[in-house]
Amino acid sequence: MPGTKRQTLYRELRIEEYVVRDEPFYLPQGDEVQLFETAYYQKIPVLLKGPTGCGKTRFVEYMAYRLSRPLVVVKPAEKDGPPVGEEPAEEDTPSRRSIPLVTVACHEDLTASDLVGRYLIEGEGTRWIDGPLTRAVRSGAICYLDEIVEARKDTTVLIHPLTDHRRILPIEKRGILLEAHDGFLLVISYNPGYQSALKDLKHSTRQRFIAIEFTYPPKELEAKIIEHEAGVSPEVAWRLAKLGEKVRNLKEHGLQEGVSTRLLIYAGKLIARGIPPRRACQVAVVWALTDDAPVQRSIEEVVASIFE
Amino acid sequence: MDKTAPLPLNLILQELHRYPPTVREEYTRALEEIASTASPKHLEWWANHGLAIAQQTARSWEAAAEFFRTSPVVLPILSWEHFPLWAQGGYDLCQQSPALAVAYFRVGPACVPHLRPSRIPQWVGLGQRFYKGTWKSTALAVRFFEASPALLASLAFPDLERFVAFLERLTTRSYDLATECLALGEEVFPKMGEHREAFVALLSALSESASWREVKACFESAARALPRLEKGQRTRFLRLAEYLARSGYTSLSTFLVEASEALAQVDTSAHATLLSMAEALLAVSPEALPDFLKSAPAVLERITLAQMEMWFAEGVRLLRSHREAGLGYFRRETSRSAQVLEALSSAVELARVKDLMRLYCRALAGSQVEIASSQELVQKGIGWVDKEKPTTEGSTVYLPPVVNRYPSKEQNFAWYKVVATHQVAHLEFGSFAFSYQRPSALFKDLRPRLAPAQPPGEGAWLTDMHRFFALFPEKRLALDIFTVLEDGRLDARVQREYAGIRSAYQRVQQDSLAERPALEDLPAREALVELLVRLTLQRYRLPTPTPYLKEARALARLARLLARPEATVEDTAEATLRAYAIISRIPNQQLPQEQWQEQDLSQDQEEQEQQGDDLLQQVLQSVSPQQRREQQAQEQPYQSPKDVDYRGEFKPELVQLLAKLKQTGEQRQGQTSPAPITRELLEQLLRESADLEAEQGDISQAVGMFANNIMREAGIAQPPPVPAFGQGPLVHIDDEGGPLEATEPNTYLYDEWDFRAGDYKPRWCLVREKPMAEGDTAFWEQTLQTYASLVHQVRKQFELAVPEAFRKIKRLKDGEEFDLDAVLEAMVDKRAGLTPSEKIYWRRNKVERDVAVAFVLDMSASTAEAIEEGKQDAWDAPDDPVEYMLWLRSRRGEPSRRTYKRIIDLEKESLVILIQALQTLGDQYGIYGFSGYGRENVEFYAIKDITEPFSDALKRRIDKISPLHATRMGPAIRHATAKLEAVQAKTKVLFLLSDGRPQDRGYSREGVEKEYAVHDTHKALLEAKQKSIVPFCLTVDKNGHDYLKTMCADIGYEVLADIYSLPQRLPLLYRRLTV
Ligand SMILES: Nc1ncnc2c1ncn2[C@@H]1O[C@H](COP(=O)(O)OP(=O)(O)O)[C@@H](O)[C@H]1O
Ligand SMILES: [Mg+2]
Repeated sequence: MPGTKRQTLYRELRIEEYVVRDEPFYLPQGDEVQLFETAYYQKIPVLLKGPTGCGKTRFVEYMAYRLSRPLVVVKPAEKDGPPVGEEPAEEDTPSRRSIPLVTVACHEDLTASDLVGRYLIEGEGTRWIDGPLTRAVRSGAICYLDEIVEARKDTTVLIHPLTDHRRILPIEKRGILLEAHDGFLLVISYNPGYQSALKDLKHSTRQRFIAIEFTYPPKELEAKIIEHEAGVSPEVAWRLAKLGEKVRNLKEHGLQEGVSTRLLIYAGKLIARGIPPRRACQVAVVWALTDDAPVQRSIEEVVASIFE
Repeated sequence: MDKTAPLPLNLILQELHRYPPTVREEYTRALEEIASTASPKHLEWWANHGLAIAQQTARSWEAAAEFFRTSPVVLPILSWEHFPLWAQGGYDLCQQSPALAVAYFRVGPACVPHLRPSRIPQWVGLGQRFYKGTWKSTALAVRFFEASPALLASLAFPDLERFVAFLERLTTRSYDLATECLALGEEVFPKMGEHREAFVALLSALSESASWREVKACFESAARALPRLEKGQRTRFLRLAEYLARSGYTSLSTFLVEASEALAQVDTSAHATLLSMAEALLAVSPEALPDFLKSAPAVLERITLAQMEMWFAEGVRLLRSHREAGLGYFRRETSRSAQVLEALSSAVELARVKDLMRLYCRALAGSQVEIASSQELVQKGIGWVDKEKPTTEGSTVYLPPVVNRYPSKEQNFAWYKVVATHQVAHLEFGSFAFSYQRPSALFKDLRPRLAPAQPPGEGAWLTDMHRFFALFPEKRLALDIFTVLEDGRLDARVQREYAGIRSAYQRVQQDSLAERPALEDLPAREALVELLVRLTLQRYRLPTPTPYLKEARALARLARLLARPEATVEDTAEATLRAYAIISRIPNQQLPQEQWQEQDLSQDQEEQEQQGDDLLQQVLQSVSPQQRREQQAQEQPYQSPKDVDYRGEFKPELVQLLAKLKQTGEQRQGQTSPAPITRELLEQLLRESADLEAEQGDISQAVGMFANNIMREAGIAQPPPVPAFGQGPLVHIDDEGGPLEATEPNTYLYDEWDFRAGDYKPRWCLVREKPMAEGDTAFWEQTLQTYASLVHQVRKQFELAVPEAFRKIKRLKDGEEFDLDAVLEAMVDKRAGLTPSEKIYWRRNKVERDVAVAFVLDMSASTAEAIEEGKQDAWDAPDDPVEYMLWLRSRRGEPSRRTYKRIIDLEKESLVILIQALQTLGDQYGIYGFSGYGRENVEFYAIKDITEPFSDALKRRIDKISPLHATRMGPAIRHATAKLEAVQAKTKVLFLLSDGRPQDRGYSREGVEKEYAVHDTHKALLEAKQKSIVPFCLTVDKNGHDYLKTMCADIGYEVLADIYSLPQRLPLLYRRLTV
């Protein structure tokens, strides 16, 4: 049958698919929790600014939990992959007001249709299927568009009417306007680090969000995060955090990006499982960061100074 | 002479009357002398022989007189048995020329003692060989006899024969040369000792070779060369030279000098081995020999003799497989050579680890730390004087240029790293951030309670360090204590924070402990400072003077406190006050041996600090200026402790001063406040500075210079006027020579490709990036006006190029959206029972415009050529750019006001049109011009840097583009490539705009092979290509086709036949390249 590939894409998506049962571990860097909470109740869209791996996603997860609700992750990137997730989780007690979290990782092929939905050919006719944004709007979820600048420019057409007082989603194909559920909030993230002029957020878009700025956590906090996430000793966590701090000093002087908390956690996880620290840092930090051999060597020397 | 019967003796005298009286006089005198010892028969023979000589020719009486005169001396030496041999020789010579005989007889007394009698006729024969009947040959033969005493005394007879044969051969080339060589031999041989033989052999070889003219110079060179060599190796060295001469090597005298100079630089014990290697080289490629010997000292500086054998072997291997590569290898011009050396060497050179260290230090310090060699700081003349010591002035970490302390590279590198880490620690842990006011972490602060001494002048304290050190009457002692304590604090901190480097750090500390002087030898006060040094090196079991045990314990306590992680520089200051109070009270007297006792200072019974007031009193007293302690008898003047070498120099006061000055310098440039510091004030500060006081010797005159330099360094003094654009002094470095160093800011090093050697010459070219001067915008506007319609046209074409990027591609199996037409078709097909097409989607063309381009503009002198002049005879043009300019001018007559259009003008106009159009595309672009003179002066002008936005400045800079010097394309391309690498773009283009072949001083092989430049340029373009950059060459050289084929093999290029088409062509090509 023609167009089979398209059919597999969203057919079995369910908003309730990915449920967070436990509270995500999140250590606030400042007043971001309070800010987000207020923004949510005031229906103000939120832009999370910051380098990759500094805790933005975790923060949204945490907020979704805090605002007390299960969560779904949708990965439209894998067009040919199997449908994500299984049966809906049962824990969702009706007594709690559920605010799902719909996360979309944006990429350069992501179009407006991918977010809103599209017609699929089915049998003799066609069938409409909602995209993740539409679902979020309908069900009153927090919709997190990760790395928004990576998406195609036409997605901004959708964002604009959703992020002003109208809070509507036009579904052009079907000729309808969808009014957002009260619980709906649009959250986008944006990494100002490696933007070229071509990939920058337009001002008309930016100015619809409050911006919460994330940086890599300060050393002490980062050490705690690493300790918890990687299950390493405070000493090792502290050293990894120190490595993070030192490597980040090289940003712009050989490195395009500083090392993310995520990578430091990876290194910690390797160390926790018995990989020698220097080796762990080499694979999780040095090589993950850069292919430039002289820069690699320099960072390796930093690693060698910090770890025995 | 035997034809007539001999005259009886009594008739001889009468017979001699026919000749001038001297003959008779000499005869009579000699007769008197020999008569008593000779038989009448002998006498008669003798007299008749003399007469016979006189009778030979008109002038032969002179020879006879000489014969008579010298006979009495010669006779006793030879005795009557051999005397006739000598006499007969003269007679024979006289037959050829009386002058010869005269010379011969005259040197008889000096010569015969050195000759076996049987050799006398041979000696005569040697003289005769020169005689060819001409006056020149006679003169030479005469000179030979005159030189004979010296020659016979210094040469064995066979060598003399060889020497004569050599001279004789020379006579076929030049009598003058032979005569000169004879004189040189006379002078040089006696000095040459046992090596004469080898030298004569060398001379012979030379006279037979094509380079016989070298012989004279060789006398001199050899005489200079030999004493430089190890005695046993001198002959061998000459033999080597001889073989070299035989192999056809032409610059032998230079070789003798240079090779011996090189050998003189290495230890004489290495000479034999080096010469063995040289001999081995003879069999492979004699040409490589001179370079090999010349390279030896530099090589041996880095590796041992044994390791050098390996380095050598690799060179020989290369010579065998690829001669040029091998030759370059021994010249140390190839990367391979440097690599092998590097691999073998255990020394670590700063130049090699500088980049690594820079990033390492930046990571640790978190600031823009630079790395430089300590020498550079000394050269600045701002107060630092040691060329070897690591140090920092607050923004740059200075390290010794090379480390060769340990037998392995790893160890030497580890030392570098420890040293760099220590220096960075000053920045990372805030040595220079000292604040007088800021509380310490571990002490009850005394600083606020000490009455501050009056600041100099009216103003406030210039720096906190200045204020702090002004407290102390004995600044030097205070600085020593502060330095040791602060260095100790940092060492402890580093080891705590950087567990990975701890073991290397401790090893270095251990090693430096071994170099400390014995405590017991020091007078008491110095001993306590030394004790402090040891304590900070983590030694706590130490010999301690029993009278000062309490003091030692107190010091140890301070050292331990500062080792805590929370200690700051303010804690060091507090500790310094306390340590100073303790140590300054101790007289600097030698202590008797029995008062020393080993103590464990690692722990203390009373860890409590003394009662506050008590302590304050003590400290107050110690720092009170009136309280300067009277010197006691037997007290020695205080000497600073020996440096701990890995800690290097630490000048806290100077660094703070410099930082402060830089700050005010910047402020002044921002015109916020007038600089509060005058030069006088600065000089006074320096004079009082503890940092300078600590240096040995008289610094009073140096202060003025330091002050001057410091102000310049801080950007306060007016810098000397910058040389006018493009006419800066061209510093020349020899084209030979080795890799360069990029020491100045905005200079960059690039390798150069040697196509013959098939290898890069490492760090061969120095690119100096300079901003382009600014003219005015008239040129820009004028061009836009002149080309108005073309500008419009190009612009429109470019605008059309934009939507092309978003074309839909239809009828795909998979895509963004249904292609409605296709879907309908499919539906219809299906309903009709046909198999519908699957191609029912469309997708947008994914190619988005993301282009970065660097235009590289040839600004060589030749672009000054008028377009009308054509280029038919351009090949007669001199290669040297300076000459070329002159040549060009002379061709054009007087350089009156320019009315013709030059190549460069058209290039500039084309650029203006293109830039105008580029604005619509939004591409990133940089415009660069290059020229220069010589490999150390590749000028690279940023007309618009690639990251710089379009501005009026660009318009003004275009105006200033003008022909300069030569065209070394390779490094310019490499630098532009680096620029492109630094930006992000999907498409990168390097657009080279030139008017002819690359040429520059030394941009060729042996100064003739022009292909060298072409190949290097080609290589540079290929390098760009490898980095995903699209290189393209557009040239307006009509004769360019031949070399362009080589230069642009595998690379896009175009030769513009009609240069006037450039303004149209350039945008067109650009569009094509970037689609
Ligand atoms: N403040 C924080 N509290 C807890 N964990 C954090 C925090 N910041 C970062 N992390 C850890 O770092 C990892 C990467 O963060 P993530 O949220 O994925 O980064 P981002 O979304 O910014 O790219 C997370 O999985 C989490 O383990
Ligand atoms: Mg994320």
